[in-house]
Amino acid sequence: MVKKMLISICAMLVIFPAMAFAEEPSAAALNMGLNALWVMLAAILVLLMQGGFILLETGSTRMKNAGHVAGKTIFTVGLCSLIYWAVGYGIAFGGSGNDFFGWGDFFFDPSKTSVDNALPPTLFFLFQLAFAAVSLSIAWGGFAERAKLSVYLIFTILFTAIIYPVIAHWIWGGGFLAQDGAQDFAGSTVVHLTGAMAALAGTILLKPRIGKFNKDGSANEILGHNQVFTALSVLILWVGWFGFNAGSTVAVGDGFFGYVAFNTQLGAAGGAVAALLISWAVLGKADIGTTLNGALAGLVAITASCAFVDPWAAVVIGLVAGVLVFYSTRFFEKMKIDDPIFALSVHGAAGVWGTLANGIFATEELAAKVGIGQGGIIDTGSWHQLWVQLESVVICGVFALVVSFILLGIMKSVMGLRVTEEQEIAGLDLSEHGNYGYPEQLKKASSTNIQA
Amino acid sequence: MTDPGWEQLLYGIAHADDSAALHRYRKLVHDRMAARLPRQQTELFYDELNDAHDAFVRRAIQLAGQEMARLGNGIPPVPFAYLLFGSGGRREQTLLSDQDSGLIYADSYDAAEQERNRQYFSDLSARIVRLLLETGYPLCEGNVLSSNADWCCPVSGWKDKLNGWFAEPAWESVRYLLIVADSRCVYGDGSLHDQLKDCFYGDVLSQPIIVKRMLENTMKHKVLLNIFGQLLKEQYGEDAGSIDIKYGAYIPMVNAIRLLAIEANLRESSTLERIRSLEQLGLVETEEAAEWIDTFRLFLRLRMLTTEKFENGQFTTNGKLSSGKLTKELSEELKSGLKLGKKLQRKVYRQTMNRL
Repeated sequence: MVKKMLISICAMLVIFPAMAFAEEPSAAALNMGLNALWVMLAAILVLLMQGGFILLETGSTRMKNAGHVAGKTIFTVGLCSLIYWAVGYGIAFGGSGNDFFGWGDFFFDPSKTSVDNALPPTLFFLFQLAFAAVSLSIAWGGFAERAKLSVYLIFTILFTAIIYPVIAHWIWGGGFLAQDGAQDFAGSTVVHLTGAMAALAGTILLKPRIGKFNKDGSANEILGHNQVFTALSVLILWVGWFGFNAGSTVAVGDGFFGYVAFNTQLGAAGGAVAALLISWAVLGKADIGTTLNGALAGLVAITASCAFVDPWAAVVIGLVAGVLVFYSTRFFEKMKIDDPIFALSVHGAAGVWGTLANGIFATEELAAKVGIGQGGIIDTGSWHQLWVQLESVVICGVFALVVSFILLGIMKSVMGLRVTEEQEIAGLDLSEHGNYGYPEQLKKASSTNIQA
Repeated sequence: MTDPGWEQLLYGIAHADDSAALHRYRKLVHDRMAARLPRQQTELFYDELNDAHDAFVRRAIQLAGQEMARLGNGIPPVPFAYLLFGSGGRREQTLLSDQDSGLIYADSYDAAEQERNRQYFSDLSARIVRLLLETGYPLCEGNVLSSNADWCCPVSGWKDKLNGWFAEPAWESVRYLLIVADSRCVYGDGSLHDQLKDCFYGDVLSQPIIVKRMLENTMKHKVLLNIFGQLLKEQYGEDAGSIDIKYGAYIPMVNAIRLLAIEANLRESSTLERIRSLEQLGLVETEEAAEWIDTFRLFLRLRMLTTEKFENGQFTTNGKLSSGKLTKELSEELKSGLKLGKKLQRKVYRQTMNRL
């Protein structure tokens, strides 16, 4: 027995001599390792948010489109990854750019490991890619249940190569808004508002789903087919958001990511509670859909400010977002804009609010800690940061909307955006993919002539 | 009387030869009353309309009796009373009402006679219900119809039924008890109906659990006003923007007043009569009663406005008042009415819970 062990140890020493003579790792290397692990974990969490989007979009739409809605997300995340690798990353973070767009690092070929104990660029890329994919999935909310599959293909390319990375460069890539001190810690504007503006352009150009509005202008409620999916999606997104916000510290550092996560939780909670209460108070019945939207709106809103505000302000930001999302949903419906997944309210209205909230609630101390901009009105009495926030929201919002509108407008005239009426009624599962997501239920239903 | 031909019309109904003639009269009543809708005093309108509805029921009963005799079944073997429930029982039927009915007949102590009576009244009820259906009164969706054996019984059968419901205060039993509370004898021997009500009131007041269950049922429909005092309108569909007057205003008030009346041992079935009696007994302040009456009249008036006439001449209602008919003034009036309705619900809740 002893003989066997000695032989094994000798063999190990021959194979792994470093194990015998390794030096202690430096503090910087340990620090890099920890940071790398944290960013990897955060990237995984943000990528997992796609699971949330799959369930959110599927649960909020009808059975006849379920397979399409869910499956297309996997396809577009795949395509988005390739385009972001080839072009998008270079436009957002390429080193030879200017104030308006980055340039270089196309077909990104990073170093295999960490250089000088900095965060491995591979991980930074993965983390940033996951954000681009989230923004894209938000945009799909405006396309749901009536856009052709080919639209998803082309627009993924355009959005990932042009729209998203340009805005990411402005705020996160050292662009002109970053130089102005625009605060958007994890992307209320960059990710959420950008996605929502593309959704708005999409839904306006696609026009409402068949049956959404009556001739007299009144709206019909097209209920999603599975509220449990939708609720579960919110929880998945909520958990993923810890990667989204807390991961945006891109370092373990002094544990500040914990504070960011802490504020994130408070914001989400405020949104969920306020949304349920306001719907209950105004409608007489507590609306589950609104509550779920409220939690997401709270998360979207706290995304910009999670590193810049005190806990009480995180609660206020979440509460306001919850109320805002309720009224915003009603507003868009009144404007006869069909927003199947409520992307315009959850990501657009709450994204705007979250970004502006920095100008009100950011503290001087935290702004200095993060190293971007300055404190808001309450802490400093100065309107400067609010003005900067307003400027970034307006510029980014208008850019995302106008460019999306132009690109989708061109696509509309060249290839058309919408499936035929017959295909829409039959469902996109059948028209775009040839199979139902719920074959048993829908085949049975169609044989008894019931429309799903 | 604002319509000179009205008496003639009632006379015509009372002497109609068959269901086809009744159907013609029903259409006439529709047209005349619909034409009067916009300018009619609420209570008078409902009184006259319900007179007409009662006349149709009475004539249908007579015609059914004649049919029975013609077919060799003779005359009713024992006295009976034909009962109306729901809005018919409360004399609050609109232009479009369905049938909610029951039948009670005197007991016999001989088994053979009992079976003969059961057979006779079962046949009679089936004919009455059929004739009224042909006249234009749809059947009650909940099958509260005299043609249903559950609602066509001798006095002892009704008492057993009531006792059974009292003994098992499930949601359904309480619903039936509340239906009985609104019953009214429209034809026949009223003393039979009185026996039924005696039994009802004798038991109900001695059973707190029943009253508590009735309270839960009574509070089921909420007044359509949110906590900011805004009207709760339909949000989606063809009726978007409209107000569900029936279930958001009228029924909550009917339910609340009914419970107060039951607790006060009042036998009236009409909501306005119930309020007046509560006032006479000193259970409600005169001023408060006047407010309730005004509000209930408003709800009745708005309920009339929910009637729509379609192009093919058919009338229908979904109990909802479209936003087009809801002027700003009317909307304000409705809001204060609903506030009062909410207050009333709270009062009934407090009062009932305090008694238990």
